[in-house]
Amino acid sequence: MGSKQVTEKALSMLKSLPRLSLANLRDNPGSKITQKRGRAQHGGDKHGAGNKGSGQRMNYMRLGYETGNNPFYLRMPVELTYYKGHHLRREYPPLSLHQLQSLIDKDRVDISKPIDLASIVKTGLYTFKPDQNQFGIHLTDEGADIFTAKVHIEIQWASEQVIATIEKNGGVITTAYYDPHSLFLLRNPKKFFEAGLAIPRRMIPPPDAIEYYTSAKFRGYLADPEKISKERVKLAQKYGYKLPQIEVDSNYEMLCVRKDPRQIFFGLEPGWVVNLKEESILKPKDEELLTFYAS
Amino acid sequence: MATVLRSRSAFARLFVGKTGQILNNLTDLGAKLAPGTQSVIRHYSNYISSPTIDTVNQDYNYEIFKKPPEWEYVQRLLPFETIPKVTPKDEYPSGWVPPKEEAVNHPYFIPRTKNGELPIYLEITHRGMRRVSKIRKLEGDLWLMNDDIRKFLKNKYNRFVMTRVHDFAKFIEVKGDHVNDLKQWALSKGF
Repeated sequence: MGSKQVTEKALSMLKSLPRLSLANLRDNPGSKITQKRGRAQHGGDKHGAGNKGSGQRMNYMRLGYETGNNPFYLRMPVELTYYKGHHLRREYPPLSLHQLQSLIDKDRVDISKPIDLASIVKTGLYTFKPDQNQFGIHLTDEGADIFTAKVHIEIQWASEQVIATIEKNGGVITTAYYDPHSLFLLRNPKKFFEAGLAIPRRMIPPPDAIEYYTSAKFRGYLADPEKISKERVKLAQKYGYKLPQIEVDSNYEMLCVRKDPRQIFFGLEPGWVVNLKEESILKPKDEELLTFYAS
Repeated sequence: MATVLRSRSAFARLFVGKTGQILNNLTDLGAKLAPGTQSVIRHYSNYISSPTIDTVNQDYNYEIFKKPPEWEYVQRLLPFETIPKVTPKDEYPSGWVPPKEEAVNHPYFIPRTKNGELPIYLEITHRGMRRVSKIRKLEGDLWLMNDDIRKFLKNKYNRFVMTRVHDFAKFIEVKGDHVNDLKQWALSKGF
């Protein structure tokens, strides 16, 4: 049989065979040797788990911990920032645009009103643990193609892609910082109101977060509004969409509502006490209190 | 032991007229500041030289507003009493599909969970080595449903996919990660 015949035969065979896909791919026979867990004298010692400790017990230690060894991230003076302060860093658990859209589809979030951390936690479909160094929502771009809702949203961290997606639909996005104390209030406002305490002031961001929350590029709540409107146009040009005009929008008033940098809840000022039982609000008149709560 | 003499509001006297400089702003807690000059040695390692508070002002002037217009903002923050019902819409961009009415006509039934999702889950055990898709909360003829699922997967993958029926706990397990396939099948049936 000549080589030409072989190739022709192989080609005709390929024509009749099903297409190569993940469903019919497999390793060459004999290329993989599965190791057996031997017993007694047939390799039945520790089975690769080592002698005692976490190898055998399957407990997973915290990042960088080496069971009492001098950890890798402390061993060499060059690698000082390797894991440094990982247990103290601020965490922003993600919420994707797809998740946000499904919350809107299922009527868990009211888009006729401004959305903030409190209204996302209220849905019951977003777990948020401020006691575990979590500082709010990181809105991620997963599902940016299907996102169609026009929202006014205030979150804690967002990428350029997400900002572009929200503004393309005619919405407004702000990134805002909350200190841990106010995060607890936002997670469960009812519990706080029942405690009968005055709503505290929101604290300003820590030094390493100031840059982000004052930047117009990331729509920081401390940024200059004029710079933000300039950045909105810039981003629209970069991503190639026509920026919908907010000024002519029917929901113009709702889209313009902003929290004060010292305010935690929409519409409720620091210093007020909410009485849920009698459905009343106690507002301070004392000069001492007014000067304290004024930002 | 010698008694430790603590000068009342000794630290606060330093800040007379400049309350803004006090870090934990004692005036909010009602400490009255008296004029006077006194040099105080601060011991930052303990609280001995810190000012003390004897009386807290509790009769601040305030006004009560019964059901003010701002009450709407309070109601917005209160949790849902029940899970809100989904109002029918023309389209759901997220891909979520509401259950159809014709789903009741099948001899078996998959109810939606309280969050409106299909009770189909992926169970990963043995350190990620074993993947089993599980359909829970089933009603009706499970064995007939099992046959239909096997037929559907056989058509899709041209091979037999192992399933297991638990008639007492009302669930069906499918070997492998077939969550999306099972969801697709369940939605095609209208569940």
